[in-house]
Amino acid sequence: MGLRAYVLRRIGQLLLTYFVFLTILFVLFRMMPGDPTSVFILEGLPAEAREERIEELGFNDPLYIQYFDYMRQLMTGEFGDSIIYREPVVNIIWDKVANTLFLMGSSLILAYTIGILGGALMGWYRGTRFEKIGIVGVLTARSSPEFWIGIILLSVFVFWLGWFPAAGMRTVGLDSGEGIWRFLNRDFLWHLFLPMLTGAIFFTATPALLMRNTMLDVLDEDYIEVKEAEGLPERRILYRHAARNSILPVVTVLAIVTGAAMGGSVIIETVFNWDGMGRAIVDAVNRRDLPLAMAAFFIMGSLVIFMNFVADIAYVYLDPRVEYE
Amino acid sequence: MTLLEVENLRTYYTEDDGGLVRAADDVSFSIEPGETLGLVGESGSGKTTIAKSIIRLLADNAEIVDGSITHRGTEITDLSKKALNREIRWSEISMIPQNAMNAFDPVYTVGEQIVEVITVHERGTSTAEAMERARQLFEDLGIDPDRVDDYPHQFSGGMAQRAMIALALALNPSLILADEPTTALDVVIQDRILETIKRMQEEYDSAMILITHDMSVVAETCDRIAVVYGGRIVEIGDAETIIDDPRHPYTLGLRNAFPDITADDQALISIPGTPPDLVDPGEGCRFAPRCPFADEECWEVTPHPVEYEPGHLVECHRADEKAFLQAEAEKRETWLGQEVGDPTADRAPVEEVDD
Ligand SMILES: Nc1ncnc2c1ncn2[C@@H]1O[C@H](COP(=O)(O)OP(=O)(O)O)[C@@H](O)[C@H]1O
Ligand SMILES: [Mg+2]
Repeated sequence: MGLRAYVLRRIGQLLLTYFVFLTILFVLFRMMPGDPTSVFILEGLPAEAREERIEELGFNDPLYIQYFDYMRQLMTGEFGDSIIYREPVVNIIWDKVANTLFLMGSSLILAYTIGILGGALMGWYRGTRFEKIGIVGVLTARSSPEFWIGIILLSVFVFWLGWFPAAGMRTVGLDSGEGIWRFLNRDFLWHLFLPMLTGAIFFTATPALLMRNTMLDVLDEDYIEVKEAEGLPERRILYRHAARNSILPVVTVLAIVTGAAMGGSVIIETVFNWDGMGRAIVDAVNRRDLPLAMAAFFIMGSLVIFMNFVADIAYVYLDPRVEYE
Repeated sequence: MTLLEVENLRTYYTEDDGGLVRAADDVSFSIEPGETLGLVGESGSGKTTIAKSIIRLLADNAEIVDGSITHRGTEITDLSKKALNREIRWSEISMIPQNAMNAFDPVYTVGEQIVEVITVHERGTSTAEAMERARQLFEDLGIDPDRVDDYPHQFSGGMAQRAMIALALALNPSLILADEPTTALDVVIQDRILETIKRMQEEYDSAMILITHDMSVVAETCDRIAVVYGGRIVEIGDAETIIDDPRHPYTLGLRNAFPDITADDQALISIPGTPPDLVDPGEGCRFAPRCPFADEECWEVTPHPVEYEPGHLVECHRADEKAFLQAEAEKRETWLGQEVGDPTADRAPVEEVDD
C-alpha cells in the first residue's frame, strides 16, 4: 500500500538523518579544543585512578572503536558524569528535560491554539478593524523580547496583583508527590503559569500571521465560493473549509518550532528561575561540562528529528493530495 | 407561474479609483419552470455578474443598486443572509462553475461534500442516507458510485465536472446556474458534458441559465437565448429566432464568429473592435463603435428594447430593417471596417480581437 510504503520510507530516512546527526555530534565533541580527557574526568583524582579512568572511558582506543562505544553509550543513555553536578548526567538531565517539556509544551499548545484561531479570524474578517488591531497586537508581541514580556507579566501579576509566585517551580518544603504527580499538581501549574504565558505570547505571532496569510489565499479559491453558494452557514465555511485548508503550512512550522523550543528558552528560564534545558546547556558550555552538554544536544537533536518525522506523517493525514511516491 | 423574474437589474462594481463599472445595467428577463435560458456574449459583457446577482455571490466591491429578482415571488435582493442560505441557495438555486477541478474542497472526498450539503439543508437526513443519494447521483451521471470516496484531485476534468453536476442536483433545485460549464474542458468531452447537463436537467425537471461565450453551445441546448453586450441584454427570444432570424447586428456578428451553427460552411468572421468600457458608458448604443450599421441616432440616443414578435425583444434603432441587416451581415466586407451607412465611421476603432 502507498501509505505504508511511505511511512516505512520515512522511517528509513529518519534513521539515516539520525545517524548523520550522531556522527556530527561525535566529531564536534572530539574536535573541541583542549584535551578531551581533562573534561570527561572529574578533577582531583590521583594520577593512577585517572589513568584507569581514561582507559575505562576508552580514550586510548583507536578512533573508530571510540566511535562505536560512543554510539552504544548514547543508545543506552550512558552520558558520563557531569562536571558541574559531580554525578552521572542521567541523574539530572531527565528532570530538566521534563521541566522544559512542560514549560515549552504548554506554551506552544496555548500559542498555536490562539494563533491558529486568531489568524483564521483575521483572515476571515480581512479589511476590518478587528484584523488591523489583531495584526498590531501580534506584531507587538513578536517584536517584544522575551525578558520584556516576562518582566511586564511579573510586574502585573506578581508585584501588583500578587496572584502568582515570582520564580521557581515548586513551593519549597511542599511535598508534591512522585512521578508524573510532581508535575500534575496545583502548585507546579501555579508556578508554570507566568513563564508559560510569556512563551505563549512570544510564540503566537508566527502561527497567527501565517494562518492569516494562508486564509487570504484560500478564501479566493473557487471552492469557498461554491460552499457559500451551497448555503452552508458562515461558521461552517470558516472552520470546516477555509481554516482547515489554511492550517497545512502551520503544521510544518509547528514541527520545526517545537523541535527548537525543546532546547528550552534561556531567557524565560532565567527570568523565572526555571530549571530547564536552556539554562542547563548554557551552564554546561560555559563551564566546559562536556558530558552534560553532549547529552543535552543529543536529546534536543533527537526531538527535532522526531518532530519533523511526526509532521511529515501528520501532513499525509491532513492533506490527501500529498504524493506518497 | 414564472420561476424567476429579473427586472431592471443594475449591478455595479466600485473600482479602487472610485470608478463605477456598470456590469449589469438595466437587465430584465424571466424564466419558466424547466426552461433553459442561454446567456451569450463576449467575455466581460456581464454574464457572470448577472448570475452572481441571482444567487447573491457578488464580490465585496459589487452592489445591486437597482431592480428586483424574484424567485416564485420571493424577493431575493431583500432576503437576509440566513434566509437566503435556508430558502434559496442550493435548495432552490444551485450552480455549476466553470472549473470543477477547483470547485471542490481538496481535503474532503467528493461524497463527503455532497453529504454535507444534503445534511445541512435537510435536518432529518442521516449521513448514511445522504451518502446513498450521492452514490445514486453518481450512478445517474455515469460515474462509478464507489468514486464518492475519492478526493477531488483523483478526478479528471470531465469526471470532476460530472461530479459537480451531481452536487448541483443534490437538493433537486428549481434552477441551475451553469457558468461556462464546459469552457475549461477538453474540446472532445465538451459535447458529452453538455449532453449530460441537458439530460440531467430534464430528468430532474430543473430550469437552467446556461452562460457561455460560444453561440454554438446555446444553439444546441437552450429554449430561449439572451444576447448580452456591455452589461445589457441587447436581444432575447426563442432559440430558433435568435439563431435563424436575429435582428441585432451584434447577434448577427456573433453568429458569424461561430459559423458551424449556420447551414452553409462559411469561414469564421469575427467582430472587429473591443468590448465597451463599462465605466461611464455615456449616451448612445454601446455597440455603435463596432457596429457596421450604426448611424447618427445610434451614437446619440440609447436604444430601448422593442418587442418585434411575441417574446422577441431587440434593443437596436435599426432592428426594423431586418432583411437588410441579415443580408449585409453575411458579407465579410461588412465586418472589415467599411461601415455601412455610418456618418461617423472615422470614430470607430477597427482592430481584430479574438475572444
Ligand atoms: N470584482 C470586480 N471589480 C470590478 N470590476 C469587475 C469585477 N468583476 C467583474 N468586473 C467587470 O465587470 C464586467 C463584467 O464582468 P463579468 O460579469 O465577469 O463578465 P462575463 O462573465 O460576461 O465575462 C467586466 O468589465 C469586468 O471587468
Ligand atoms: Mg464570466
